[in-house]
Amino acid sequence: MIFFVISFYQEAKPLIEHFKLQKILSSKFEIFSNNQIFLILTREGIIRSSIGTTFLLTRFSAQEKDMAINLGICGAKNRNFQKGDIILCHKIINHYTKKAFYPDIIVNHDMKEGVLESFMIPVKKDIKEEIEGDIVDMEGAGFFESASFFLPPHNIHCIKIVYDFLDYEKIKKEEISNLIYHHIPKIEKFIYSLLELNKYEKLPFEEENIKDMVEKLKESLNLTFSMTHELEKYLKGYIIRKGNIPKEIFDFINIKANSKKERKEYFERIKKLLSP
Amino acid sequence: MKELKSFSPLRTFSHIYVEKEILSHPITEKILNRFPKSIIIEIDSYKEVFSRSNQNYKVQELSKKLILAKKRKEFIYPGPPLCPNFGQYYFYYTTLILNCIFSCDYCFLKGMYPSAHIVVFVNIEDYFKEIDEILKDHPLYLSISYNTDLLALENIVPFFSMFLNYAENKKDLIIEVRTKSCNLKIWEELKPRDNVILSWTLLPDEIIKKYEKTPSLDLRIKAIKKAIDHHWIVRLNFDPLIYVEDYKEVYKRFVEKVFQEIDPSKIYDLSIGVFRIPKDYFKRMKKIFINEVTLFPYEEGDNAYTYPHELKKELINFLIENVSLYIPKEKIFTI
Repeated sequence: MIFFVISFYQEAKPLIEHFKLQKILSSKFEIFSNNQIFLILTREGIIRSSIGTTFLLTRFSAQEKDMAINLGICGAKNRNFQKGDIILCHKIINHYTKKAFYPDIIVNHDMKEGVLESFMIPVKKDIKEEIEGDIVDMEGAGFFESASFFLPPHNIHCIKIVYDFLDYEKIKKEEISNLIYHHIPKIEKFIYSLLELNKYEKLPFEEENIKDMVEKLKESLNLTFSMTHELEKYLKGYIIRKGNIPKEIFDFINIKANSKKERKEYFERIKKLLSP
Repeated sequence: MKELKSFSPLRTFSHIYVEKEILSHPITEKILNRFPKSIIIEIDSYKEVFSRSNQNYKVQELSKKLILAKKRKEFIYPGPPLCPNFGQYYFYYTTLILNCIFSCDYCFLKGMYPSAHIVVFVNIEDYFKEIDEILKDHPLYLSISYNTDLLALENIVPFFSMFLNYAENKKDLIIEVRTKSCNLKIWEELKPRDNVILSWTLLPDEIIKKYEKTPSLDLRIKAIKKAIDHHWIVRLNFDPLIYVEDYKEVYKRFVEKVFQEIDPSKIYDLSIGVFRIPKDYFKRMKKIFINEVTLFPYEEGDNAYTYPHELKKELINFLIENVSLYIPKEKIFTI
């Protein structure tokens, strides 16, 4: 699953339209989804972003192979970046705690990179000297700290689009959506690369098939908890070495162990069959 | 383990994390000059990156990053019991670099560290000071390539050369450098020292292909021959022995090949040991790496997992039997 954490509707609108997301929840937070992508609107602020992230990832039971992305506009400290640049953040600093977070950037991407610093209040030029990051926002650090509890650092990312240069321009809603809409191909490509990266970790066997076989053997032979666990390990090892489950193992499914002694005997026979 | 991938990982060291305190250290500058296209990210402590929770070692291996740091304490450690000490009472090791540029399915580093990224402690001068202090009390047998392959990284950070210069004329100091590298030029360029042992780990090519992303056996043998030709002291490690079904044929061919190519009389000594791994490391390793190595039904010893006793004995005896056709028994160490 792909989780987007976004503060405002104008920032989310291009994604909601592009991925055809439907509103599925509207209580404390608004959440949109198409069953593969879940997008939450958190409103502005480090704390709100943190709470929204935790809510989203808990509510939809985030797993290690899922990814979380915080997307939104930002201000740039200097003119190394231009208005509309899309930036993948390689370091995210909480301005107040000085705690820094680092995503693992493993796959190629078409974005610029930079350091994001998160503040509780809108940042103006006059505090430029205090800013350590290249760009500033009001969410990234809260999002990242919360997401780190659930996901590995290669699956957590902050993507920011430069809107102003801390000159406190009045924000034009339509302009924000246009800036983000323009970058959807780059965001989409990055997501696909991450999906592929997570598939790279695919196990060399079907976990379900193994569990099914183990369950059948546990039933027929009345195996203990530790025997069941050991059997699973032996089966996986055999399949990795030989490529499939040995035919002889099916003979044990129809046997009934009537005593502890019998159970032990059958179990030892299975172990011998599956041993290297 | 080789797998197909349909995405494009960033090149190794695409990002270099540098502790602010050592930004202007000469070794930091040297390394950064070597990678002008890498993105430099300033950090306060290497642990901010290296020790993050939930990292995936396997995924990180696709695009390892470099972390440059300062070692602040504990420069030298006593040799661990699972490593052969070759009869040396004062066996210590040091960790200038954490993690390895190579990747072997059975390597304990995969369970030892939370991250696959490579940490380089640039302040080698502090290591030398600590060794100076220890040498005032007693001699030292020091393994300098224990949690890494120092020689494989010599082109990036010349710690080996620096150690050679440091060790010159230090009679109470013996240095051992473990490696699987295949650099040839280095042995022509550097002057051999009689207190430096080059210690090559060799495995049969069938096992290298199956379990390692490292130089082939042929390339390693070439490097060893070059080092011997230039009068370096060379040790061979047939360690770890990895069990495969046809291990007798595989290892017999391997031993024959090694000693057909390398003159056994030029070998300083040789170690033999089966795969073994501390329990805690193995538990962490098998959570992420699901393969033939991690799914083998090992025997649980006091502190480590290894092959069942009978198999271990069989493997070691078979190797001793074959190796002793070429190397005198007093030069063979087993663990």
